[in-house]
Amino acid sequence: MTEKLSFDAIVVGAGPAGVSAAITMASKGLHVAVIERGRFAGSKNLFGGVLYTSAIGDVLPDFAKRNPPFERPVTEQGYWLMSPDSVVRLMHKSQAYKVEPAEAYTALRAKFDAWYAEQAASFGALLIPKTNVIDLIRDAQGRVIGVQTDRPQGDVYAPVVILSEGVNNLLTQKAGLSKVDLPPNLVALSVKEVIALPQAAIEQRFGLAGAKEGVAIDIFGDATLGLPGTAFLYANKTSVSIGVGMLLAEFVQHKLRPHEVLARFKNHPVIKPYLQGGEQLEYGAHLIPEFGYDRMPKLLADGVMVAGDAAGMVDALHREGTNLAMTAGKFAGLTAVEAHKAQDFSARFLRMYRRKLNQSFVMKDLKQYRRMGDFLGESPHFMKTYVDFANDAALRYFSAHGMAKRDMEKEIVNSLWQRRSFFGVARDMMKLLRGMGA
Amino acid sequence: MSEKFQPLDPALRATLPAVNVDDMISGVKYYVDEDESHLWIKDHAICAHCVEKPCTYFCPVNVYTLDGEGKVMVGYQACVECGSCRVGCPFLNIGWKLPRGGFGVAYKFG
Repeated sequence: MTEKLSFDAIVVGAGPAGVSAAITMASKGLHVAVIERGRFAGSKNLFGGVLYTSAIGDVLPDFAKRNPPFERPVTEQGYWLMSPDSVVRLMHKSQAYKVEPAEAYTALRAKFDAWYAEQAASFGALLIPKTNVIDLIRDAQGRVIGVQTDRPQGDVYAPVVILSEGVNNLLTQKAGLSKVDLPPNLVALSVKEVIALPQAAIEQRFGLAGAKEGVAIDIFGDATLGLPGTAFLYANKTSVSIGVGMLLAEFVQHKLRPHEVLARFKNHPVIKPYLQGGEQLEYGAHLIPEFGYDRMPKLLADGVMVAGDAAGMVDALHREGTNLAMTAGKFAGLTAVEAHKAQDFSARFLRMYRRKLNQSFVMKDLKQYRRMGDFLGESPHFMKTYVDFANDAALRYFSAHGMAKRDMEKEIVNSLWQRRSFFGVARDMMKLLRGMGA
Repeated sequence: MSEKFQPLDPALRATLPAVNVDDMISGVKYYVDEDESHLWIKDHAICAHCVEKPCTYFCPVNVYTLDGEGKVMVGYQACVECGSCRVGCPFLNIGWKLPRGGFGVAYKFG
């Protein structure tokens, strides 16, 4: 028999959560293996997307010197409320965003994740790509002591395993940490295209003064046929990222084709000019776990911790996910380091991970927005009613055809009551506030 | 309750353009496992009784299509491994596993 392949820790999945855990552990001297199913880290990953440097800096303080492959700093961001033929824009642009490194950058995950994994390797973590983990290995007491992979003689051992396998958390389920598969009414399906455009065209169309400016726009209303969901348009260096996301249950119930919803959005008279002449580089799709705080898997058991999308660490309202994943990965890594010092890998000891999360924005935000998923599911009319109202109100407000302003204001208010009763509006606002955790 | 599951206005549905999925995925890099499909129909009899066949709609890359006899076919080669079919099939009748290590989609941008 050959000698057992063993490490101090095994990380399953080289995304933001897993690599953050790996950097944290390897930089403190642990011998870490990161097992990745893709050909390279990032090859299976896709997001909108915007990355947040506070989370990266917490893991890797000198990240800016390591030439991260960001696209553009986000110097303008906000919301577009789109009706079928118009848009109300709520955008914020500020010189305050123009610091280096910026707080947020647009990015492409196949590039960023590959770079991030290289940083883990620079601390001595061993990246094992093209390898699936198919099960956990347990000892006689049921404690996790390693993983079984799809390689010949592919068992790998470590006293602690961090599951950062992503949204399709089949190992987390297999480990009994999650009792159910993803609920279609609490998971979003997002489709995206990356469209190449000349740098000058991007800067001209979005009003950007060079490569040190960038914009991230989240779009509601007609982009998702008035159904609950969001669309996005982000400026990269020489491409734009455009996409739509809606709850999977809506695609299923309404028999909608995601690529058709995206194509319709791209054809909207407000959107089309931004994409004119662009060449599609890539299309893709990904699920986003929006099941929230109340339905999170158990985050740990003897010898194992779960982080990132696998644990549902997404704040959909603020389109945040990678930062929650990175912070959680770091906490899992720190906990593993302490567990090695104490030589105690029991669930009891690993509860340190949960405590660290509870004290951080990760759990605080997830807890605050725990009802957001329910809100969207229960108020499917919400987007259409209020987005169309906002556009209608704007049109009336900006019109000048001989009507007294007071009459115009009355018309605006009446146009709301035509869409929704007074009590309907009151109920919507109550539910929205509850969804926001007020 | 009445607010839930309202059918989509047919006029709104009519505004959806037809899309050629083959064109959509022409930029996507795949390493296709020619030996083994990672997706499968668990029981075709269940599909035969499924009236809506939503998988033929909601899959973002059209993996599921109907043959001449109305049987569901699985074009796993186009799969981007999002996982929607596994949990979106109303009868949970789609078998889903990860492609073997290194196979399947390989995003260049992501």
